[in-house]
Amino acid sequence: MAVSDIHDDAAEASRSRGGFAPLWGAVFVALICAAPLIAVAIVAVTGPWTDYFGHIAGTRLPVWLANTAIVGVIAVAAAGSIGSASAWTVARYAFPGRRAFEWLLALPLAMPAYAAAYGWYDLTQSTGPLGGLVPVVRGPVGAGFIFAFTLYPYVYLLAREAFASQSSEAYDAARTLGCGPIEAFQRAALPMARPAIAAGLALVVMESLADFGAVVHLGAPTLSVGIIRAWAGEGSVADAARLALVLVSLAFLIFFIERFQRRRARQAAASGRKRPPRRVQLSPVRSALAIGLLSLPLMAGLIIPMGRLGWLATHSAVGRDLGAALWHSVQLAAISGGVAAILGVIAAYALRTRRLPAVLAARLAGLGYAVPGAVAAVGVLALFGWTQDGMDAVWTRLFGMPLPVLLSGGILGLIFAYQSRFAAAAIGPAESALARITPTLDGAARTLGAGPVEVAIRVHWPLIRSGALLAGLLVFVEVLKELPATMILRPFNFDTLAVTAHNYASDERLGMAALPALLIALAALGPMIWIARQMTRSERLVRKEAE
Amino acid sequence: MKSSSTLLGLTGLAIPLLLSACGQPQGSEDASQDAGVVNVFSARHYASDDAVYAAFTEETGIEVNVIEAGGDLLVERVRTDGDRSPADVVITVDAGRLYRAAEAGLFQPAGLDEAMEQIPAYLHHPDDLWFGFATRARVIVYAPERVDVSELSGYEDLADPRFEGRVCVRSSNNVYNQSLLAAMIDRLGADGAEAWAQGVVDNLARAPQGADTDQIRAVAAGDCDVSLVNHYYWARIANSGNPADQAVANATELFFPENTHINVSGAGLAAGAPNTENARSFLRFLLSPEAQRAFAELTNEFPAVASTQYDNALLDELHDFSADDLNVNVLGENASEAQRIFDRVGWQ
Repeated sequence: MAVSDIHDDAAEASRSRGGFAPLWGAVFVALICAAPLIAVAIVAVTGPWTDYFGHIAGTRLPVWLANTAIVGVIAVAAAGSIGSASAWTVARYAFPGRRAFEWLLALPLAMPAYAAAYGWYDLTQSTGPLGGLVPVVRGPVGAGFIFAFTLYPYVYLLAREAFASQSSEAYDAARTLGCGPIEAFQRAALPMARPAIAAGLALVVMESLADFGAVVHLGAPTLSVGIIRAWAGEGSVADAARLALVLVSLAFLIFFIERFQRRRARQAAASGRKRPPRRVQLSPVRSALAIGLLSLPLMAGLIIPMGRLGWLATHSAVGRDLGAALWHSVQLAAISGGVAAILGVIAAYALRTRRLPAVLAARLAGLGYAVPGAVAAVGVLALFGWTQDGMDAVWTRLFGMPLPVLLSGGILGLIFAYQSRFAAAAIGPAESALARITPTLDGAARTLGAGPVEVAIRVHWPLIRSGALLAGLLVFVEVLKELPATMILRPFNFDTLAVTAHNYASDERLGMAALPALLIALAALGPMIWIARQMTRSERLVRKEAE
Repeated sequence: MKSSSTLLGLTGLAIPLLLSACGQPQGSEDASQDAGVVNVFSARHYASDDAVYAAFTEETGIEVNVIEAGGDLLVERVRTDGDRSPADVVITVDAGRLYRAAEAGLFQPAGLDEAMEQIPAYLHHPDDLWFGFATRARVIVYAPERVDVSELSGYEDLADPRFEGRVCVRSSNNVYNQSLLAAMIDRLGADGAEAWAQGVVDNLARAPQGADTDQIRAVAAGDCDVSLVNHYYWARIANSGNPADQAVANATELFFPENTHINVSGAGLAAGAPNTENARSFLRFLLSPEAQRAFAELTNEFPAVASTQYDNALLDELHDFSADDLNVNVLGENASEAQRIFDRVGWQ
């Protein structure tokens, strides 16, 4: 998760000069987002205790933990390097096809990790077309790479946004002082984009560790498999909740370490945009090389697994009508994305104050992302159950009948569940965008007579707009892919693309799962292109102003 | 200007959606009008089910509202919704889940005595809380090129040292493996079942991975010689038009052991069903010739009603086996013990 790298006087600035900081509102929103996680904790504490913990500690836990570590390390290392290298290339170099790559590179995000795992496993197992030619994609190493190739776009999107808005002065200075382009990138450009890359990696690691479908299929059981086993095998929801809390603590620890590291090597964000980056034109040979390298993650994360599923589809019966599912998916994703963008910005402002309640609430809200979706869904169900009971009681006292509305099984409940689950994806980009605005900018604007809200709208908004859009986009794509909460909280007769794809895949009809999975990617395409355009437009605007 | 048009677009998206939320059937209110509705919570998601729901509506005029989700989630949803649950009928595809739903008090006796006479007693919950309406057999798939059928007698073979390094299995997270071991616990006792599971693990040619169909492919490719699969996955690829799948099916065969382990697709009447009568009609309809036939023809499941006539030559060929007459409820009783055995022997 991005932690703002602004100086401590940033907090000072917002506090003493009364900067725009919707503190308590944000705390409230964050706590609501965190409520399902809190419900999981309550289930964990109040549920009946069994000897399950002792049992798994003596049997499978060491293997699960080892797999969790391998999967996490590979996913982070590979997604981090793929994401930041591709973002740098697209942001700083000019070559044919660059504009297409700008949004193409984000597309693997639309591929559900389990679908990519099914596709790759099917391709590389003995009877598959690549069987014997390449190693079988399996085990914790295979799973780590599956997550890297389907999730690197988090890093890519956030890093590209950071590189594009970075002033090139530090990089230019490093070059002048004799650094080669790679060294200058490492020593000048990369550290400044570090909050953005860290925010992306936090999402990568949380989603990898929370995954269940891919790791089971590839024979790499992680801690989340233990969580689901406690529930499905033992029938103990409470033990599942307890293990989920272990996973959440692990995620929390990772953030803490990352943050501590970053404190030691603090990089001041360059203030303003004195000199926007100029893209370096690549020679034809280097252009070809760039295109080839940028195509690799796209192939591995999307085109190859999707192609395999698509090929299987040509031998499959036609499935259910997908029109309604597509419409439902897009509606849910668009509304949730819009709401998330707003909430993300509000939370980011609250974080900017660096006040303890705000930071705690926002971090808590973000942790929901590290919980396996099915357990998060249990939290939402429990929360709805308790709330319904309470409101029924109140309503009965007032009107002599229970509340005429059922909380579960409605669209609003579903949108609430998405906000709580994906708050991290919404807060991260908004926060890393806001972190690049130095407090001196606030000060200048305030000196010139602008009120705090005016500063937020006229000064901040143009600078953080792309971050907010990105937050909305990430949540949009997440909601398109989301499964357990959608399955269990949706109204009657309400299919979505992810549910349809999963139903076929879980029934081992991979071919029939291909079409809905492809539609998920297509549904994500539109917003991705639109946002890529928005971002280039704002870049151009800045460039024009500079000239 | 730009942002306001975006907002407008979002609102346009939101309105029909929120309206559709309000229009959700609430159950009891609808029941008084016309033939009403029946609210089905199902862990199944097959084309055969769509056909059965449509046929039911056509015959009775009762609309079928469906929520499909994983079995564990379904149970949790109905449980947390409590008295307010709109569920009339709960369907899952594994006896363990049905058992757990019954334990959580989600079912009430349906009182369908006459209809129940059509199905064998072992497919029927002892207290009439649920019943199996279609079955799937978990059987041994083998490569006839490398395994002579005379070498096979039962599930015990997979643990026999003869098959060292020749066995593939999928993960023990799979409920069908759990239920098979639950049945072994009943037959061999917990210690015997654990020894069996340990023997299988010792014989593995590779770490558990993939799904059922992948085990069939592994046997066909020679990665291993024997494995465990549900019969319909093999039937599906054998019936498929894909030449690669046909080749896989041709290179493999199914062996139905003595007392073949079967699992059920089962249904029960929800404890707080708002549309009780419609739910009863629906449950009866699941055992009707029309529905039973759909399960056999569209999903390659064995109908629970033995006399069902259907048009599926391949299934007919497989149908001649002796099923384990262990009451399927026992599979649920032994499920958590089975899971722990898997953990102890390292069947991941």
